[in-house]
Amino acid sequence: MNLSLLHNLSLVLAASGGEGGEGGHGNPFDYLFGHVVAQPSIFGIHLPEVFGMQIWNLQIYQLLAIVLMFVAFFPVRRAITAGSGGFVTKVFAGWVAWLRDEVVYPNVGEKDGRKLLPMFLSLFFFITFMNLLGLVPYGATATASVFVTGGLALITLFVMLIGGMMAQGPLKFWVNLVPSGVPGYLWPMLFVLEVMGLIIKPFALTMRLMANMTGGHLVILSFLGLMFFFAQDSTAIGWGVSPLVVGMSVFMMIIEGFVALLQAYVFTLLSAIFVGMCLHPDH
Amino acid sequence: MLNLLLQEAASEAVQVAAASTTHALGAVGAGLAVIGAGIGIGLIGGKAGEAIARQPESTADIKGNAIVLAALVEGATFFAIVVGLLFALK
Repeated sequence: MNLSLLHNLSLVLAASGGEGGEGGHGNPFDYLFGHVVAQPSIFGIHLPEVFGMQIWNLQIYQLLAIVLMFVAFFPVRRAITAGSGGFVTKVFAGWVAWLRDEVVYPNVGEKDGRKLLPMFLSLFFFITFMNLLGLVPYGATATASVFVTGGLALITLFVMLIGGMMAQGPLKFWVNLVPSGVPGYLWPMLFVLEVMGLIIKPFALTMRLMANMTGGHLVILSFLGLMFFFAQDSTAIGWGVSPLVVGMSVFMMIIEGFVALLQAYVFTLLSAIFVGMCLHPDH
Repeated sequence: MLNLLLQEAASEAVQVAAASTTHALGAVGAGLAVIGAGIGIGLIGGKAGEAIARQPESTADIKGNAIVLAALVEGATFFAIVVGLLFALK
């Protein structure tokens, strides 16, 4: 807990006569979550434009997640083939094997699963590292932005469409969307429904991941904002409430850590199921 | 002079009140959506408990399935919550 921060904030709140907003968009919000909001500057450094496109702070966190992935998985290949490596490497190797045997191969099959395994592994660990980076001090959750999760869901959509069209032939893929044995007069309506379902599935993936990550942070923001709301009346009440508030925030962060891993797993599992349904339709 | 001040404050209050209907309804909608999640996840938990009671040796399977299904139900709820938030924070 930063003692001087709370003191500064109490002075600011007392001076502004409570106008700054307790859990809203005044000064406490800037201190608590100023670095979490998507913005073109990171820790006060304004980020440059590359090829005419502005770099945002969330992209730095995504790059950090990728670097962490490389660092974590560099020794895993040797661990799987030769059995060497320390405890952490063996944990990651076991994780990879569990994903392959429980998530990818049952849903996509062994033949296509072998080709698509790198994609699902990258998806899972990228999302995991991005989610977990948001829980670290001065970290921001890149997956709390709808654009980042939308991009990941677009990857799944492209694999669904292109993989399905490559596995079954471009026209047969669309024809096979509708189950066989459907009477002729129902076929157009079912086709429209199935195409809508094809679009809605990645959209659901996007919203689920984004809302889970944003919701956790919002709850923590509300709790911490309570502290400043009470500090408006007198700093003593603010200090008195703070152990309770910080305790509840820590508890919420534990739950958020669990939700981070679970949502990455749900995203990857559903992607595997959707891709499997497009590559090998049972009907 | 007091009259002028009061008029200004009243007009500001009316402005805030007019904007806050949308905000209020958005917040109420987001709160109501949680009822669906509560019912869904409660049903999943109840059935999982019954299944574990019938067959204690498949506890691990049932536990894994229940958590994943609860995450899916929550995903549906989050649609409604995000729409409510969009209106509450506009």
